[in-house]
Amino acid sequence: MSTVDPITLAVVRGALETAQREMTLTLEKTGRSSVFNLAHDYSNALFDHFPEMILQGQDIPIHLGSLIPAMKCVAEFFEGDIAEGDVIYHNDPAYKGSHILDCCMYKPVFYQGELVFWTVCKGHLTDIGGPVPAGYNPDAKEIYAEGLRIPPVKLWAGGKRREDVFNLLLTNMRARPYQEGDLNAQYGACCVGERHLLELVEKYGVAQVRACIAELKNMADRHMRALLRDVPDGHYSGTAILEDSGHGLGELEITAHVEIRGDEAHVRIESPPQVPYFINSYEGNSVSGVYLGLMMFAQVPPPYNEGLYRCVSVDLGPKGTLCNAEEPAPHVNCTTTPMETLADAVRQALEQAAPERVTASWGHASGINIAGHDPRREGDEYVTMVLASIISGAGANKVMDGWHACGPLCCFGALMSGDIELLEYSYPIVIHRYSLMSDSGGAGEFRGGSGTRLEIEPLEHEMTVVGFGEGRQLATAGAAGARNALIEPKLGRLIHRRADGEETHYIQNPVLTVRPGERVINVNPGGGGYGDPLRRPVAAVLDDLRNGLVSAEGARLEYGVIVDAAGHLDEAATRAARAPH
Amino acid sequence: MRNQYRLGIDAGGTFTDFILADRDGGVQLFKAPSTPQDGTLAIRAGLAQIADAVGRSPAEIIADCDLCINGTTVALNALIERTGVKVGLLCTEGHEDSLEIRLGHKEEGHRYDAHYPPAHMLVPRHLRRPVGGRILSDGREYSPLDEAAVREAIEYFRAEGVEAVAISFVWSVRNPAHELRAAEMVRAALPGVFVCTGVEVFPQIREYTRTSTTVVNAYLSPVMARYVERIDALFEELGAQQPVRYFQSNGGLAPGGMMRERAVNAINSGPASAPQAGLSVAKPFDIDNVITVDMGGTSFDITLTNAGRTNFSKDVDFLRQRIGVPMIQVETLGAGGGSIAHLDEFGMLQVGPRSAGAKPGPVCYGKGGLEPTVTDANLVLGYLPDGALLGGSIRLNRQAALDAIRSRIADPLGISIERAAYGITTLVNLNMVNGIRRVSIERGHDPRDFALIGAGGAAGMHVVRLAEEIGIHTVLIPKVASGLCAFGQILSDMRYDQLTSLPMRLDAGHVDLERLNRALAELRNKGLGNLREDGFAADTIECHYTLEMRYLGQIHECSVELASSRLDEQGLAALCDAFHRRHQALYSYSEPGSPVELVNLECSVIGRLPRPPLPELPQPAEVGEAAPSSLRKMLFSADGDWQATPVYDGNHLQAGQSVQGPCVIEESTTNIVIPPGWQATLTPSATYRVTPRT
Repeated sequence: MSTVDPITLAVVRGALETAQREMTLTLEKTGRSSVFNLAHDYSNALFDHFPEMILQGQDIPIHLGSLIPAMKCVAEFFEGDIAEGDVIYHNDPAYKGSHILDCCMYKPVFYQGELVFWTVCKGHLTDIGGPVPAGYNPDAKEIYAEGLRIPPVKLWAGGKRREDVFNLLLTNMRARPYQEGDLNAQYGACCVGERHLLELVEKYGVAQVRACIAELKNMADRHMRALLRDVPDGHYSGTAILEDSGHGLGELEITAHVEIRGDEAHVRIESPPQVPYFINSYEGNSVSGVYLGLMMFAQVPPPYNEGLYRCVSVDLGPKGTLCNAEEPAPHVNCTTTPMETLADAVRQALEQAAPERVTASWGHASGINIAGHDPRREGDEYVTMVLASIISGAGANKVMDGWHACGPLCCFGALMSGDIELLEYSYPIVIHRYSLMSDSGGAGEFRGGSGTRLEIEPLEHEMTVVGFGEGRQLATAGAAGARNALIEPKLGRLIHRRADGEETHYIQNPVLTVRPGERVINVNPGGGGYGDPLRRPVAAVLDDLRNGLVSAEGARLEYGVIVDAAGHLDEAATRAARAPH
Repeated sequence: MRNQYRLGIDAGGTFTDFILADRDGGVQLFKAPSTPQDGTLAIRAGLAQIADAVGRSPAEIIADCDLCINGTTVALNALIERTGVKVGLLCTEGHEDSLEIRLGHKEEGHRYDAHYPPAHMLVPRHLRRPVGGRILSDGREYSPLDEAAVREAIEYFRAEGVEAVAISFVWSVRNPAHELRAAEMVRAALPGVFVCTGVEVFPQIREYTRTSTTVVNAYLSPVMARYVERIDALFEELGAQQPVRYFQSNGGLAPGGMMRERAVNAINSGPASAPQAGLSVAKPFDIDNVITVDMGGTSFDITLTNAGRTNFSKDVDFLRQRIGVPMIQVETLGAGGGSIAHLDEFGMLQVGPRSAGAKPGPVCYGKGGLEPTVTDANLVLGYLPDGALLGGSIRLNRQAALDAIRSRIADPLGISIERAAYGITTLVNLNMVNGIRRVSIERGHDPRDFALIGAGGAAGMHVVRLAEEIGIHTVLIPKVASGLCAFGQILSDMRYDQLTSLPMRLDAGHVDLERLNRALAELRNKGLGNLREDGFAADTIECHYTLEMRYLGQIHECSVELASSRLDEQGLAALCDAFHRRHQALYSYSEPGSPVELVNLECSVIGRLPRPPLPELPQPAEVGEAAPSSLRKMLFSADGDWQATPVYDGNHLQAGQSVQGPCVIEESTTNIVIPPGWQATLTPSATYRVTPRT
C-alpha cells in the first residue's frame, strides 16, 4: 500500500462524508412520506468493493449496523450477476434485513467497468401491505401475517427500470403514490451518492482512494481497540427486562455477556425462545443492537466505518430465540422492541466494567402509526408512522443531564419529530399538544431528559391508530445509583380520550378507531438518571421546579428538596431530608 | 457618485473600521477601538482621525458623503455572549416547548458524543407562556383566543421584568388574527417593551422555525435599537444627506427603522459583506474561487465563493438557534485576537470562545484585561511591536502580556513562556483550520482550488499559517485587509427581502394565476415602497423573484428563480420545466408527470447604488529591492530560537516589490506575518500576494 498524503486523506474523508450527507439530503428533500421528509427515518451508507462499510454517517444507528450483514448477503445472492446500471431492492429479515418496513436499495457503482463502490439507502416505508396499515400487526403470529417480504430483487437491470417488479411491489402497498415517491427518492439518493463517488475517483484515482479508505478503516479499528484496552479485562454481564406488554407473554429477560480481553471484545446474547408476537429480532437487526450498545458506551471519535467492529465478535445465541429469530417469527416491532432492551443489556454489562464512562438508558419507543382517508384531498388514503410519538428523553451521564426530547434509544437523536405545521399540512389532523412533562426525566444527580406528550385529533374523518413499542410499565433504567421515587410520570402511555373526556389507557399495542372530537394521547418516557439524586445541587432542583420539569412532590420525594406553597426553599427541612440515613 | 466621498463603517467587537472612498479611486482605512456601551464614541473617534487626515471637519466630510454605511456585529455579539434582553414568549397552548424540543433532534456530528450539551434556551420554560386559541392549517379558527390567558401572561411578564415579548402562534402564517390581537394587548399593557410576532418576522410555514426566528429577533432587537438610535442621531447632527444605511445578513443595505425592528435580519451584518469584498480583491488575479476569512477581536468568519457564487442559507441552525430568514452563509467561530487562553477543568489549554473584546481587551492593552489572549501571544512572539500604537490610542505593553501568560498558562502547566505563547497561537490556528475544512472539504470543495483572502485586523498574523496547514498556495491580503468588510459594504446595494407562503398546486384545475400574480405584486410593491422612501428612482431598481416549489406530497422545496414579475400560461409552463430541471440537477431525478406545488414566494427588491472606483497603486518604472525598516526578535516554532527577523514598513513598499519570509510587514492597521518558506509581493491593486517560496 502506498503511503497516504494526510491532506488527500482528509479530502477523501470529507468527500465520502459529503457523498453520504448529500444522499441523506436527497431523501429528506424529495421523500413523499413524512417518515422520510420530516422524520428522517432512513439511513445511507457507502460500501467499497469487498463490500465493507466505509462510512456509517450520522443517520439512524439501528439501521446502520444491520446494513453490514445485509450488504454482504445481497452481494452474495447476486454474485456473478452484478452489472453496471443494476439497482437491487430488499427488505427480508431472512436475508439479514431489519424489519420489512425498512426497505433497502443497493446501487453498485462502476468506474471504467470495475465495481468500486456501493451506495446504499435504507428507508422506512409507511406501508408494506398486510392486514394492518403501517405494518404493525399486533395479532400476527407469523411473519407472513405482517406484510410483503422482498428477498433481493433487481429494480433496475443494466440501467433499465423493471416496471413489472415495481408494479408487483407497489400493488401490495397502501397509499401507492407515497410509496412510489419514496422509492424514487431512494433511487435519487443512490444516484447522488454515485455521482459524488465517481467525481472522487476521477480526481484521485481508484488506487489512491482505496488506500485512503483502508487507512480510514484502520483508524476506526485503532480507536475501538484503544478504547477496549482502557477497559479492564474480564467477563461482565447485564440483564435487562422487557416488560409484560399485556399480550400474555409475561416479562422477558435479555442478558448480554461481554468478555473483554486486551483490545478485543466478545459479546454473547442470551434470550428466551421466540414468541408469537411481533417483537422477535432476526440476526441483522440484533447485530445492530449490539453495535449500538457498544457505541453508546464507546464514544469513540469518527470515522465510523466497518473497521470499528473488527475487534468485536458477536454471538446472538441459538437460532429460534427472541434475539436470533428464524422463520416464521413475527418481527415488525423489532427495531425498537426488543432492540432497545438488548442495547440496554449490553450497556449494563459495560457499566460494570467502567461505570464512569456509561450513559444511563434512553427512553424506549412507545408510539403510534396513523391511517385514514384525507377529506381535504378527495379521500386520498394516507398512512404513516408518527415519529413525533416516539421522541423520548435521553439518559444522563457523569457530565450532564440527559437531553430532553431526543430519543428513542434506537435512533440516538438522529430522528426528527417533524414541524407540527408541516404534519398538519400533510395529514388531516390537529396536534393539540406536543410538549415536555413534569417529573418525566429519571431522578439522579444528573437528571434524565424529559419525554414528550403528543395529543392528536383527527379532522373530519375516522382515523385508525396502531400502537407499537413498550416502556409503559417499567421506567427507563438509570445508572450509577440513580433511583426513582415517582414512577408513574416517567412511563410511556397510550390513551384514547373520548369526546366526553373518558379515557382508556393501554399497556398493550392496540388497533383503535379515533373519531373527530376524540384524541389519541401518546406519552413517551423520559431518560434514565445518573448518580444519587440526593447529590443533585439544590439550585438545580429549584431551577427544574421553576420550569415545571420537576413538581414540588417530585422535588421532595426524589431529591429531598422541600419547598413551601409559594415555591420557596425550606432549608432546614431540605437539610434533614438530604441527610445520610 | 455625485459627492466626493462614500463612507463605510464596520463596527466589530474590538475595532470599528472606516473606509473612506473618494470619487478619484482613493481608498483610505481608519480604525478606532469599538465602544460597545455607545457605538457613537468609536465613530466620533474615527471621524476625528479622518478629519485630521483629510483636513476637513467631520461635519464637512459627512455632508460631502453620498452615503454612510454601517455594518455591525452588535446583534451577533449579543447572541454569542448571551447579552440580549430578557424575553417572554406567548405561544399556542400545548406547543410551549417547541423551542426546547427542537424537532426532537440532536445535531449531526454529535451522534455518539455523550457529552455534547443541549442548546442554550434564550427563553427558559417558565417564560414561555401558553395561551388557548387555535387556527387550523387552512386558516379556519378552531377555538378563539383566550384573552384571559394573554392577560395572565402579561402580568407574569410584568412581574418578571421582561424587556421583549415574542408572540408566535401555530398557523399564524395562514391567519394572523390571534397573533395580531395578542400583540395589540401586549403593546397596550406593556409600553416600552419590544413586541414582535411570527407573522411579521418570518411569514412562512414551519412553526418551530418561525417561533425560533421571532424569539431571536425579540432577544436582539432592543439591543440593536439602542445602537441604531445613537448612530442615527449622530449622523443627523453631523448633517448627513441621507440616513445611515445598515448592512444586513442578506448582503444588502437597509435603513435604521428596519434594523430596530428586525435585528434578526442583521445577525450577520458584518461578515456578510466579505464575499463581495473578497471577489473584488481577487478579480485582478482572475480568481473567482475564494475563501474569505475575517479575524477580528472576537470572532473568525469564513465565507466561500465558488465560481463567483456565494451560498445563501435559510431555515438553518445559527449558533444553535434556528433562523428562517435568508442570509449569506457564514461559518463563525469564537476565535479572534481577543479570544481568551485559559486552562479548563482538566488542566488543558483552551483558546476561546470567550473573548476579552474591546473592553477590557487583551492584557497588553492595559485597559484592565487580566486574562491572556491571542493578541497577547502574538505580541510575546514578536509579531507585534512592543509599545506600538494601535488604532491611534492603545499602546501595547509586552511586559504585561508576558506576565499574564506566565502566571496563568506557563507556570500552572510547568512550561516555558515561549512554549505557552506559541501553543496559544497553534491552538487558535487549529480551530480556524477546522472551520475552513468544514466550509470547504465537508461541502465537497477541495480548499486547494481556492485562494485564501485575509481580512480583519488579526488575520494577517495567522492567515499564511492557515494556508500552509491546509495546502492552499495563494493568499491575498489587501492593504485595507483590516477594514475589508467595510470595503465590501461600500460596494453593496439596498436590498429588501419580502417573503410569504402561498401553497397552491400548479397543475390545471388547481392553479390560480391571478392570485399568484397578485401575491407577487404585493411583495414587489412592499419592497418598492421601501425603496421609494429611500429615494430610489425606478431605473435603479431590480426585483428578483424566487419561488419555492415541490412535487405534491413532498415537504421540502427547491428554489426556482422567476424571470418576470407576471406569470401567464406560457410562463407557468416554463416555470414548471425549470423546477423539473432543478430537481434533476440537485437530486439526480425528476418526475415530469407529477403535479407540482408552489409553497413560498420571495421577492428581493434591490436598489442599485453607483460603485466607487477601485484602488490602484502607482507602478514605478523600476522596482528596487525592498529594505527592512528594522529587525526584531521573533519566534517561529515552539522550541526554536529567537531570530532577528526583518520588519518592513508597508507604506514604503512599492507595487512589484517582493519580500521573503520569515518577516513581518507592518501596515498602518494590520501586521502581516510571512512565515519561513513563503514570500509576499505587493501588487498594483494594493494587495499582497503571498505564495510558497519557489
